[in-house]
Amino acid sequence: MFKRLMEYVGFEPERFEVRWISGSEGGKVVETAIEMAEKIKALGPNRKMRDAK
Amino acid sequence: MKQIVDRLRQEAARLLAAGDVAMVIGYAKGTDVARTTPYFATNEEEAQNLTWNPFCTNNLVKYLLDFRFEDTKLAVVVKGCDSKGINRLIYDRQFPRERVVVLGVPCGGLLDRSKVLATIDPGAELQSVEDLGQEFVVRTDHGEFTFAKEQYLLPKCAVCRNPNPVISDVLLGEELPVAEEEKSDTFDDIVEMEALDPAAKSAFWDRHFNRCLRCYACRNVCPACNCRECAFEQAVPGWQQEACWLSKKASVDNNYTFHLIRMFDVTGRCIDCGECERVCPVNIPLRKLYRKVIKDVQELFGDTTPGLNIGDGLPLTSYRKEDPEEFM
Amino acid sequence: MTVKLINKDRFNVFLERLASGNELVAPIEEDGNIFYRRVTSVNEITLEADAFCFAPKGHFFPQYEVLYKYQQGSNALVLEEPGPAGPSVLLGVKPCDARALLSLDPVFDGNYKDAYYLDKRVKTTIIGLSCRKVRYNCFCRAFGFGPTSGEGADLFLTEVKDGYLAEALTSKGEALLKDYSDLFTETGVDGALQEKEQLAVQLDTQFKRKVDLDGVKARLDNMFEHPYWERLARKCLTCGICTFVCPTCHCFDIIDENGGGSNCGSRLRCWDACMFTDFTLHTSGHNPRPGKKERVRNRFMHKLKYHLDRYRVTGCVGCGRCIEKCPVNMDIIQVIAEIKEVG
Repeated sequence: MFKRLMEYVGFEPERFEVRWISGSEGGKVVETAIEMAEKIKALGPNRKMRDAK
Repeated sequence: MKQIVDRLRQEAARLLAAGDVAMVIGYAKGTDVARTTPYFATNEEEAQNLTWNPFCTNNLVKYLLDFRFEDTKLAVVVKGCDSKGINRLIYDRQFPRERVVVLGVPCGGLLDRSKVLATIDPGAELQSVEDLGQEFVVRTDHGEFTFAKEQYLLPKCAVCRNPNPVISDVLLGEELPVAEEEKSDTFDDIVEMEALDPAAKSAFWDRHFNRCLRCYACRNVCPACNCRECAFEQAVPGWQQEACWLSKKASVDNNYTFHLIRMFDVTGRCIDCGECERVCPVNIPLRKLYRKVIKDVQELFGDTTPGLNIGDGLPLTSYRKEDPEEFM
Repeated sequence: MTVKLINKDRFNVFLERLASGNELVAPIEEDGNIFYRRVTSVNEITLEADAFCFAPKGHFFPQYEVLYKYQQGSNALVLEEPGPAGPSVLLGVKPCDARALLSLDPVFDGNYKDAYYLDKRVKTTIIGLSCRKVRYNCFCRAFGFGPTSGEGADLFLTEVKDGYLAEALTSKGEALLKDYSDLFTETGVDGALQEKEQLAVQLDTQFKRKVDLDGVKARLDNMFEHPYWERLARKCLTCGICTFVCPTCHCFDIIDENGGGSNCGSRLRCWDACMFTDFTLHTSGHNPRPGKKERVRNRFMHKLKYHLDRYRVTGCVGCGRCIEKCPVNMDIIQVIAEIKEVG
């Protein structure tokens, strides 16, 4: 639901991700973090909802 | 429509005279021809000031909350759209069913005030309104006017699925027929918005939220917004504002936060009465936000518009084995 | 007082030149709303005096503004104040809004001199404009002025057949006519003045709603405990619309916001509304205006009594905006009539 709302008001879909990873899947945590970091680096900094700070 | 008004006054007077209710919340004549105002009748004489016409836009259900900590019994006049709000308050345990007498009005649609005022002088005296099915005939001391529904209804009424109250104790008129094809909503406006790319969506909402005054009229009129203390108005001194969800500074990012929190809060709970959009003083298309969550809830959880019945669990606060897991 | 005339073509040149030399603020439309905003291109300006338009008070008293920024230095806290405002021109101000500034001035320029407001006030030249139409809820006449009164403006324009009649009402207005003397002429001024008089007479007949303030203040002096307020307040939703659209409402709150790096932040002030639950809330948790009744009473008392008591000018100028925008049809004209009935 939340992801859909974020996308609806104009956040890029790649910026918000929820994954289900078990405690025994350490490798998957690393993979997911790297994958996500790369996607976001490609998008550049988020300017949305950042004007106050 | 005269029969409904007569019935309403009679019923209200009877309830008040018998002491069944302490107050009847309804509509009375407003200060221009295309306006009514919420009215609180407490005796038989005042009951004669109650009225009903296609300018009765306010959702009166919200006023029940002003009396939620008392033990008096009240009566409230509802249209189909508003009546879903009664179910909302009962389900949310904000108002007990036994303390409210619901006076339901089958509603043939509401007229768009601004469009009507372009035709009739606002100072004219409203004499009577007749609902002919496809059009309203409005009689005033400045003459008789015919408004085709297709052209003059409020946008929400043009696609109304609930002209008849979904809950009522006394029905003040004949139930209106609903065509089969009108019973489902296709959400064309939302689909159109979803299809835009992120930058276009962002620009759209930036423009609208930028002018939000944060007057909170959308929240204050909303029957789904029934928290005793709002997250946006916590009793915190200025220098501790950081501890709040949101500061009073009405900047575009804070306004986003406000609208997104409210949007998420009414997910699965918004009854689509459209009052938020009507009251907004700066014309933010708020139904475009809230209808999005109605659409998503329907897609993901198979629920229809909330409020159609008192319900047995809201999609986001109850667990079902078949709930979708988009993120897995 | 200098009176001159400018034709329509030259008026556009006038606007272009105003916008290039100053910050020009004028009515601009966005999605069916008209706000006073900074002009980037003169084509954006909508001088349609007959449509609903938000008040220009935000130019002097913005919805939120930074009072100062703070940063933790090596030994002490370093404060940084915002720079002074530049010169600006506020164009197309309606008579009621110009008059409203005269109600705001004693608040910010009284015993306490509010540097933020006054800085902008002093540096702004106000160009007023006669209304072309009286809206249904207009009742400025009840306050002793009308849709062609320039009181409060520096230069006052009236649209006439051949362009705009321009009356300089203050030294700022005179200076403006002098600076742009190549655009304005004296030929035809007499005819234009006559035209303005005719317009005034014609507009006077357009007032639809009768408002008589006679005796209202005297009644309010003794109405604080009257049961009327309880009845009146029932329908109020306690949203902030009436106060935010009001050209004279001026209550504000001061807040601190951390951010923009470590150990720094800013102190801001932003509009407050007597309708909000945290308005005048004391640190103890006590609120002298705990409910709807007290809040609604406060608003009408403020508009029609307190402001008069304090500053000898009314807190209402009869612009009718709150009537138009109120979601529950709370109507100050009706309230005035009812006060006279019940008080």
